[in-house]
Amino acid sequence: MELTTFRNQLFTEGEKLGLTDIELYYEKQESFSCQIFKGEIDGYESSTVNGISVRGLYNGQMGYAYTEKLDEESILFLLESIRENAPLIEDEPEEMFTGEDANYQEVDYYSTNLQAVTVEDKIAFLKEVEKKIYAYDSRVVQTDYATIQDQSIEKELFNNKGLFLSDRNNFLNVIISVVVKEGEEIKSDMYFKITKDFASLDADEIAKKAVEKSLSYLGEQAYPDKNYPVILKNSAAAALITTFASSFSAEAVQKGQSQLKGKLDEKVASEHVTLLDDPFLPEGTRSGTFDSEGVPTGQLNVVENGKLKSYFYNLKTAKKDGVSSTGHGHKPSYKETIGVSPSNFYVVPSEKTYMELYEKLEEGIIITDLAGLHSGANPISGDFSLAANGFYVKNGKIVGPTTLMTVAGNFFEVLQEIEQVGSDLEFSPMGGSGYIGSPSLKLKGLAVTFD
Amino acid sequence: MLNKALIENVLSAALTTGGDFSEVFVEDRYTNNMHHQAGKLEKSLSGRDFGVGIRIFKGLQSVYAYTNEFSEEGLLKAAKKAAEALQGAKSEENIILPMEKEIIQTAHPIQFMPNSVEKSRKLAVLRNANDIVTNYDPSISQAIVRLVDEEQNVLIANSEGTFVEDKRVRNRLAIAAIATDGTDMQMGFYGPGALQGFEFIEGLDLNHYAKEAARIAVTMLHADPAPSGKFPVIIDNEFGGVIFHEACGHGLEAAAVAKNNSVFANKVGEKVASDLVTYIDDGTITNEWGSINIDDEGEKARKNVLIENGILKGYMIDKFNGRRMGAESTGSGRRESYKFAPTSRMTNTYVAPGKSTPEEIIANTEYGIYAKYMDGGSVNPSTGDYNFAINEAYLVKDGKIDKPIKGATLVGNGAKTIQKVDMVGNNLGHGAGMCGASSGSIPVNVGQPMLRVSEITVGGRETK
Repeated sequence: MELTTFRNQLFTEGEKLGLTDIELYYEKQESFSCQIFKGEIDGYESSTVNGISVRGLYNGQMGYAYTEKLDEESILFLLESIRENAPLIEDEPEEMFTGEDANYQEVDYYSTNLQAVTVEDKIAFLKEVEKKIYAYDSRVVQTDYATIQDQSIEKELFNNKGLFLSDRNNFLNVIISVVVKEGEEIKSDMYFKITKDFASLDADEIAKKAVEKSLSYLGEQAYPDKNYPVILKNSAAAALITTFASSFSAEAVQKGQSQLKGKLDEKVASEHVTLLDDPFLPEGTRSGTFDSEGVPTGQLNVVENGKLKSYFYNLKTAKKDGVSSTGHGHKPSYKETIGVSPSNFYVVPSEKTYMELYEKLEEGIIITDLAGLHSGANPISGDFSLAANGFYVKNGKIVGPTTLMTVAGNFFEVLQEIEQVGSDLEFSPMGGSGYIGSPSLKLKGLAVTFD
Repeated sequence: MLNKALIENVLSAALTTGGDFSEVFVEDRYTNNMHHQAGKLEKSLSGRDFGVGIRIFKGLQSVYAYTNEFSEEGLLKAAKKAAEALQGAKSEENIILPMEKEIIQTAHPIQFMPNSVEKSRKLAVLRNANDIVTNYDPSISQAIVRLVDEEQNVLIANSEGTFVEDKRVRNRLAIAAIATDGTDMQMGFYGPGALQGFEFIEGLDLNHYAKEAARIAVTMLHADPAPSGKFPVIIDNEFGGVIFHEACGHGLEAAAVAKNNSVFANKVGEKVASDLVTYIDDGTITNEWGSINIDDEGEKARKNVLIENGILKGYMIDKFNGRRMGAESTGSGRRESYKFAPTSRMTNTYVAPGKSTPEEIIANTEYGIYAKYMDGGSVNPSTGDYNFAINEAYLVKDGKIDKPIKGATLVGNGAKTIQKVDMVGNNLGHGAGMCGASSGSIPVNVGQPMLRVSEITVGGRETK
């Protein structure tokens, strides 16, 4: 069934069944990915998936349902489910955005150049990278994975009050993990690159970076367990912020699940920290001109020189606090209800290079990678105890890699104890709560234990 | 879900470039998701997933395509596009499936199908759990209770003549309790689930599960920061099995073994663990959360002994990785949905019971950590380095359980840890969880009796 036919029939039938407001959110994703192992195609995937999320007001309450199949049976299923789900909801009623008087930026985040790159070219490029990885160093055993993938997403939002919005985005990733071995010691690490500009990818550079990342961990040593000054490298800092980003959401604040409750205009971080949400970042995976409720997006200074300036709001949470939505209503997919999420959210970089952050350290630890974020961190209290990889620094120089570490601390204390912010902004490939980035950060100290 | 002639055409179209195996996976899934928080039902969402996955092998190359454009034209296009990726010589294949489709007779009885139960009955359970948690103690600030049920219908057909249909019904109740004293907040969690209908949810002893979640949160509120260093660690049964899941289970999956990306590769017959360790993956346990009738490649579920008295016996193998290893499938090919190509995964994995009583294990520990309830964790399969968090932990002193401690994370290397198991209890129990890997997030059980590892690195906020 065509989308237009499906929509018209759904709206007509829905109104007949007593739904006052009806909204249809349509998403179409096309993706391609290919894995190469020792010169052969080891995995290859292509997909086209459509999904529809419908919500409707029935007796003043909002019911939700979704489907991936556009047929008559689904229309019946969606409307019946909404009528069954809506009366059970005991929460404050939700509203729909009519779009009246709203101004939307006119930007297209879709790269037609990227779309035009052929599958053959993508595979040939990855094969070249893989070949260069094996040639780069004799300690390379193999790759754990070498993947190239791209994705395009189209979104459309309609309601029976006349709202119609559409948006699209696309990007390409290269993800590689190289396994290296010296003696009995085996190490691997993940390398990740995201772009909209295929022509800018350099096979030599990617191979070099991917291999050197893994090699840098060979020769591990344990050091005494204690509190060390810590440099949280950009990607690790971004991963840590991703884990606790929900604290900035008005939803978490209103539910009493955020330590930032009641802290507006207070100092929640050191004065070096400014956290910006920018939905118009050209390379951002979350870039877009409207949010999942149809509200126009805009830049938002969440933390400015250490002071908390705003939470993230959608329509429902904004109404509760008597403010306007900041355009952060978010549906992670058509299979979910509306929540709150950052778009492209990052620590604004300074001028200091990564090296300048550690070259004055008498002794310290650089944390390059954090693991166990989904279990070793309490997103509410901010407490974390995580596995980490990294390097030991003595007299301003990197001595070498450490054994597996655990680092423990509290995110909100970490924010207050950021002494310096680097210039090397990088975004975390971890999905979930926004596209989140940070430069490397120098922290006063963390408790470190070595395996 | 799709007719036989169309499936045959798709299987044939997929082999036109020299592929030697093609497979079609059709999925039609209904899901309900109810979320009760702060005393209110905040979310009740129903959905229908529908899509088709097409997979082709040519030697050691594998191609996967998925779509929910389910017209004949859409599916043939997807099959041909996938086949083109193999760039082989043109060939004509005519796949003929058996006359009769095999409809799986489930070994896991279902009484109430999710969509046949009134949502108000489900809401009653959520409210009941909410009340038990919130009435437990004044420091409980909130209960979050979720009920997820689903009916997944799958049809699997391949060029070797598999043509089978299965229905999987799952129900899970996830109870989280949050306790606060104004500054600190702690969470307790219990999430029982089963390959069963709504009767499982209604039959749950909520007084036990909801109270345990509340008790954990309140206990941890009064806990001291965990020490850091190397200690003997006693891990209790049920979800405690997550340590073996991470430290050992993932390394025994063919996905890691086939390419030698596992410390356990090429070690069948060798001693890899302490003599006390027997480790089993069993997808056949009646109505268990991780059980299956058939895997997502159409192979029957079975019981696979992975490690027996410390000796490595075998791996969990899917069809594709089996090719690289020259081994047959062990019924371990699983995937989250049609959006994922299957790979080797766990089902219900557990450490077999030993002879010690839990009391003996505690009494024999002079100083150490007792992990009563584990949280989740992760592992790098190529190195075996794992990490995971403890939800409820205690210090053990002079053979007795001492004060509770919070914020403890265990890190270590799987291959080394399983050699250090020095006591295994007799109280085997299973715990439900979701496991994420390359073929998506799937329901699995982890399990073990109480056991002790002579030394694990514990990371807490208190350094010596």
